Amino acid sequence: MNKVMSNRLSIAIYVLPALLLVTILVFIPLILSAYYGLMKWDGIGAMEFIGLENYINGIKDEKFWNSAYHSFLLAIFSTLSLAVYLTVSLILASKIKGSDLFRKIYLIPMLLSSVAIAQLWIKVYNPSNGILNAILMNLGVKNPPAWLADPSLVLLAIFIPILWQYAGFYILIYYAALKNIPESLIEAAKIDGATPTQIALKIKLPLIKEVVVVTVVLAIVGSLKYFDLIYVMTGGGPNGASEVMASYMYKLAFSSYDFGYGSAIGFLLLVITLIVTFIIRKITATDEQVEY
Amino acid sequence: MKRRLFTTLLLSLAVTLLLVGCSESSTSSSDNEIKFMHLWPEGSSKHHYEIVNEIIADFEAENEGVKVDLEVLSNEQYKDKLKVLSTSKELPDVGMTWAAGFLEPYVGGNMFASLDDVVDGELADEFIPGTVEAYEIDGTTYGLPLELNIATLYYNTKMFEEAGVEAPETYEELIDVVNAFKEDGIQPIALGNRDAWTGSLWYMYLADRIGGGAAISNAIDRSGSFEDSALVEAAEKVLDLVDKDAFVKGFNGLSDEEAKSMFMNEQAPMYLIATWDLPNFTTNEDVPQEFRDSVEYLKFPTVDGSGDMNSFIGGPGVGLFVAEDSKVKEDAKKFAAFFIKEWGEKSVAQAGVIPATKVDASSLDLPQMYIDILDELTEASNITLFADVQMSPSVAQVHLDAIQALFGNEMTAEEFAKIQEEALSKE
Amino acid sequence: MKRFGYFLLYVSLTVVALFQLVPLIWLFLFSLKDNREIFAGSPFALPSELRWQNYLKVWEGGVGTYFFNSVWITSLAIILTVLFASMATFAITRMKWKWSGFVLGLFMVGLMIPIHSALIPLFSMFLKVNLIDNPISIVITYTAYNLPITIMILLGFYYTLPREIEEAAIIDGCSIHRMFFRIILPMTTPVISTTVVINMIYNWNEFVFVNTFISSDKYKTLTVGIQNFIGQYMTDWGAIGATLIISVLPIIIAFIFFSNKVVEGISSSAVKG
Repeated sequence: MNKVMSNRLSIAIYVLPALLLVTILVFIPLILSAYYGLMKWDGIGAMEFIGLENYINGIKDEKFWNSAYHSFLLAIFSTLSLAVYLTVSLILASKIKGSDLFRKIYLIPMLLSSVAIAQLWIKVYNPSNGILNAILMNLGVKNPPAWLADPSLVLLAIFIPILWQYAGFYILIYYAALKNIPESLIEAAKIDGATPTQIALKIKLPLIKEVVVVTVVLAIVGSLKYFDLIYVMTGGGPNGASEVMASYMYKLAFSSYDFGYGSAIGFLLLVITLIVTFIIRKITATDEQVEY
Repeated sequence: MKRRLFTTLLLSLAVTLLLVGCSESSTSSSDNEIKFMHLWPEGSSKHHYEIVNEIIADFEAENEGVKVDLEVLSNEQYKDKLKVLSTSKELPDVGMTWAAGFLEPYVGGNMFASLDDVVDGELADEFIPGTVEAYEIDGTTYGLPLELNIATLYYNTKMFEEAGVEAPETYEELIDVVNAFKEDGIQPIALGNRDAWTGSLWYMYLADRIGGGAAISNAIDRSGSFEDSALVEAAEKVLDLVDKDAFVKGFNGLSDEEAKSMFMNEQAPMYLIATWDLPNFTTNEDVPQEFRDSVEYLKFPTVDGSGDMNSFIGGPGVGLFVAEDSKVKEDAKKFAAFFIKEWGEKSVAQAGVIPATKVDASSLDLPQMYIDILDELTEASNITLFADVQMSPSVAQVHLDAIQALFGNEMTAEEFAKIQEEALSKE
Repeated sequence: MKRFGYFLLYVSLTVVALFQLVPLIWLFLFSLKDNREIFAGSPFALPSELRWQNYLKVWEGGVGTYFFNSVWITSLAIILTVLFASMATFAITRMKWKWSGFVLGLFMVGLMIPIHSALIPLFSMFLKVNLIDNPISIVITYTAYNLPITIMILLGFYYTLPREIEEAAIIDGCSIHRMFFRIILPMTTPVISTTVVINMIYNWNEFVFVNTFISSDKYKTLTVGIQNFIGQYMTDWGAIGATLIISVLPIIIAFIFFSNKVVEGISSSAVKG
């Protein structure tokens, strides 16, 4: 057994295609961009080496930390909402009639491109013509908020569509994991007189723990580098109130032509994500998987 | 089974080889092919797109053996792609650029060719004075302007009549109009300040009226200052308008497009925008005739008795550049010059563009509003270039963020002045 | 009491389903309107006239070629991604070697890179190897950028696979490749379908890479078709809606097909397990 499973040639054959692609197309650009971060460069003219200045400025940059704070909030909200998605998946996977249809419908927002999602929610939030304010006014609210224009509400307003869009994605993963549990285990528990809730909590959850951990990492990493809807719906505004790390980086590199600084911010984003992921893995690691 | 594994290996090998190998030089264009990139996709800008194609066809017919290779992108994508291309020195031979601040990094990086010979030679006396100058850096011209836009305040005459108000000529009258509409429960001014350059227009006009045409330009070129009392006062007037609820609700979260639609759906009676929107108010058949008939424009009012109403905010929009590294530079210049010459009349007649070249308006059948605007242009005492275009890209970003903060009442007029002053002095 | 509980459950599931279904209906109405109706009226108001010409406009804009490119680029990238990811996950979770933890770490770092910071370096790399304006650059970029997330999703499932199966296979004298292709891959069909759906969504809707690396019309994909209707000063939203509907339909059909595969996969693996 061990001999077969530790054959070097086999390991190379299985790992190298993926590893080479990721190394060449993901890591080399990453290293290059870390290197650009050492330069004063507008992306066009000559580069000028300035050492760690960009990185130091990034660490001192109030706007960057403000955007990092927003990204962290998104990460926290995304992680918390995983509990909701998991509950829904547990219900759907417990042999409810029509669960397949529900599951499919739940994924629809994820299938639409962000262009469409953004347009829909812009129309929901429009302060004068939007659906949301029309409903609020009908309910007797005299002066409903101007959602995307209100610095204190814009983050919340923009998180909702993001969480809503990704719901189906996580439900899809959880559902597949739950369906992967051998039927025999659940039958045995039923014979022992376990209630559905007990089965869900005591048998199903522990069995898909690995998958849950993976989704937590995905949710956090995905949130920390999130860009799409925020860029389309608010552009990070008003005045940075909904800026996240990735949109700030984009602005610096592509709108302000400060490519060196933008690259440094992109690299800081990566470092922050790495640290957070490392902490998460430490917290969630159990004895069996010391290997990572 | 074995075969499948083999295929997999082969595939990954091929991918790797493709990446590592074949590192030959990458220029595939033949000698007489001019690569041209523009930002008028057929789907959204059919008229522009067709004019470009006509011009290319004419050019190719006149110049045997020269071919123009076209790539079309949308506005935002165009800017991003130009940026990426320039990092690898792979700009198209001819492309679109914006004036002043946008040009700076490209000229600094020696990416754009000098067009002095074309401007002084073939195109001498073609441009409206003041347009081509916006593409000059240290006395050398790097772009050939295609459009000339000025911002004016458009208003809905029908709604004005219903509210019983006249077109305002002074700031005080404007406030009266605002109050009259508010009393009728109508939001007075459509403004989409998510894009921030829209709010910048308001600020610039106020500054122009209070401090004169040169105030902002001086502050940007450092012969003046944003902390100049006139410019601070202009910011205070912005706060005053915000305080009086002159703009539509939630304007800081609205795009210009959403604001425009409020104006065009008669939800708001006033809208400050530049002449690129003229087709919507005149010839665009998709817009109801009734609305187009009721739109008029007015020159921005004077403030506290000061200001010259013939001074405008505006300037050339996009222009053509020729890449310095182009292998077909002479042909490319020839094409750019040819393009400018044909563009003028065609663009105004077919696409409703106000071109930057001199056009004999009387020979064309134009809507009245075009004729009026063209007259304004000839009588204009001053045209101040849009602030975010004048500024270098990084300062422009600071300016636009500050505009949003000012309009959002998150900043005082003094803070607004200071933050831009700091950004400019760092340059 | 129990009945009432179920009733409540179904009501809430249905309400959520409606919320998720609404955007599709909205988008369909959107695709039949003009700019004025889109901005002024209620989003769910019926258009005053059904503007099927939006679809005609999109069709004339050459959506056919874009569509074809989207299909083959997406499919090829999915096949490469899922195959390579399965192989790598297999090696990481089942094979014994010193660097497996480190390699897994590398893949995880790959998750964390914002694409905009990789854009310019990638462009200059592709330029050096003459892959700019070549769809291969898109296929391998999609593959590389989706490998990390695909491996992460597969990982959780591979850990739950019982080791006894491999042991039995090896005792039977089965080669490692035979074991992977004949036993492991079929057993992971449910999760493979999941990753296929996820990859499909990502590749199908991607446009930053296509826009940057591709300049010839003949290689552009559907998302670029949307850009065709965004102008310098004006945007034709109705036509964009029509393009979005045209581009979302196949993905919905493919999704329904793949979810049934999921169910099939479950039953087949249940038999084996």
